[in-house]
Amino acid sequence: MNRYLYDGTSEGLLSAVAHIISEEDDVERVTLAERENTLFEEGCYISTDTAAAEEFFSRLQKQASEAAYTFYYFTMAEREGLETSMLRYLSLAMRHGSKVNGYLTHPAVKEIVTVARKAGRELHRMKGLLRFEKLQDGAYLAKMEPDNNIIHPLALHFSKRLRAENWFIYDVRRRTAARWNRGTLMLGAIEQFTAPALSEEEKAVQALWKTFFGTIAISERRNPRLQKSNMPMKYWKYLTEKQGEQ
Amino acid sequence: METLAKLQILSGAARYDASCASSGCSREGNPFSTGNTSQSGICHSWSDDGRCISLLKILLSNDCIYDCAYCVNRSSNPVERASFEAREVADLTMDFYRRNYIEGLFLSSAVMKSPDQTMECMISVVEILRNEERFRGYIHLKIIPGSSPELVRRAGLYADRISVNIELPSHESLKRLAPQKEKFSILEPMSLIGREIGQNLLERRTSRKAPKFAPAGQSTQMIVGASPESDFQILKLSQGLYRKMNLKRVYYSAFVPVNEDNRLPVLAAPPLLREHRLYQADWLLRFYGFSAEEILSDDMPNLDESFDPKTAWALRHPEFYPVEINRADYATLLRVPGIGVTSARRIITARRFSVITPEGLKKIGVVMKRARYFITCSGRPFEKPAGSVPQLRNRLLLGSGSDIMVVEPPKQLVLPGLFA
Repeated sequence: MNRYLYDGTSEGLLSAVAHIISEEDDVERVTLAERENTLFEEGCYISTDTAAAEEFFSRLQKQASEAAYTFYYFTMAEREGLETSMLRYLSLAMRHGSKVNGYLTHPAVKEIVTVARKAGRELHRMKGLLRFEKLQDGAYLAKMEPDNNIIHPLALHFSKRLRAENWFIYDVRRRTAARWNRGTLMLGAIEQFTAPALSEEEKAVQALWKTFFGTIAISERRNPRLQKSNMPMKYWKYLTEKQGEQ
Repeated sequence: METLAKLQILSGAARYDASCASSGCSREGNPFSTGNTSQSGICHSWSDDGRCISLLKILLSNDCIYDCAYCVNRSSNPVERASFEAREVADLTMDFYRRNYIEGLFLSSAVMKSPDQTMECMISVVEILRNEERFRGYIHLKIIPGSSPELVRRAGLYADRISVNIELPSHESLKRLAPQKEKFSILEPMSLIGREIGQNLLERRTSRKAPKFAPAGQSTQMIVGASPESDFQILKLSQGLYRKMNLKRVYYSAFVPVNEDNRLPVLAAPPLLREHRLYQADWLLRFYGFSAEEILSDDMPNLDESFDPKTAWALRHPEFYPVEINRADYATLLRVPGIGVTSARRIITARRFSVITPEGLKKIGVVMKRARYFITCSGRPFEKPAGSVPQLRNRLLLGSGSDIMVVEPPKQLVLPGLFA
């Protein structure tokens, strides 16, 4: 069984996969892992080749667009240790095209599709659960701590929805931010974050929303378990309607 | 009165409307507007009763001239009355939307002076939103029974979804509990909307510029448990609405007693389990190819409380099973308890790659604790065949093949011989 290594980046992963698929007859018999750079590490290291990675990805988009999406969502999950599954998944995708996602009885397909689906689910959830606050200068700011690195597609969603406003989305844990200035979307790292002052009206609007949130529930049907299963408590930290009640 | 106080009264009065969908139409924004809509709909929060919040759900006014027995806003009730100005509602909607609290507005109202006058006021709210605020998010407008066809048409041009509430599932109950409403005044706008939607779809096929009329379709709601109708009657009505009037959704709302009235039943708690079973049966009608007559009959007019309606059907039709996972077609797979629309589709796709093994079946996401009694995998069953239907019933109940845990414990669990 051959063992391959790569540098741990997405591009490195794609170039390694491209290389292995062209060299090996049966990818089910090889493994791929991130290089740890220890003295006696065994395996064949494949150096990152950006051009090869891009070429492979565009081929993937053409031959199996669903799998390209799945790869994109998979990288958002920032999961380690699944490279061998990804290798096998992508090899199957090149053979079967987009319908590879239906081959759920294959362990590698199942694993990759599940991880990607989870990231996709959190992205959809966050489209609803993100909360903006109006700042003194009229711009809006939303903070979040999602499990997956979803800031880019999330910001794209809001750039279509709230295009007439200036806003920021800040991923507190990853220290990355997205900024929209009514025309262009920018993404970047934030070194130091100081909370800006809220606008005058913000408190009043938040009070209105909290009131609505309280009265819309039917007390005879109270069901905290259902509420938590639909809206896990890990998201409550930044929810306006859940402030000051925990 | 301050907006906050009005909001408290008028959202509290709107909470008994079950509709929450923000799905069914997709509209892009443009550089000068605020908002868009997404085909799948987006939930923004979940209230303490576990129901999703996706729209700002409010009444324009709770000041009603009608006196319907079941309704919290009826004229004889001593509740505080309030009415929004059109501008107030528009500002609330925009303030909430920009903070991503909501997908849009759900606007209903009590009947203030007349149906037409009320409908006019409601339309003026959405006119402000669409024309002045250039709001392109989701709007669900309730149609007041008895309002003129012209107003219904105008409402449909601004709103994504419009709905007329049936409330009570029969003419007799309507006469008894809502004497000022007539069956005619409810069904007439419903069929008008159905016709307009159908015609609009044709127009849009020939001209892309044709304005959209209620692109997310129409829905309705029935109160369950306030009147004596059986589940069979309710399901037949829903089936008719889906088939003849092309409704997108029928909502069922477990009756919550909000008034004392000797025409109403006395309930210890809202019939939540019954509501849950009706929704399950409704899904069977819309996505699983079942008819109301298959699910229930005159001899058996109410849904089984211990089992979901599909499992109940399976128990009555042992001759249909076992179903062979590697050969059965889509419609047959859908009839297996524990296999839903998603897993049936996945089974069909996965079969193209290889034979499905029991291990693979679990990966696909089939609910094995229910399905195991009704399927074979390459000819092999999962369970020793049950000798009789009662035996199978018990196995399902004991092996948690019933979904009952989700809602509330069954009234009576049959456990003979469990610890023998």
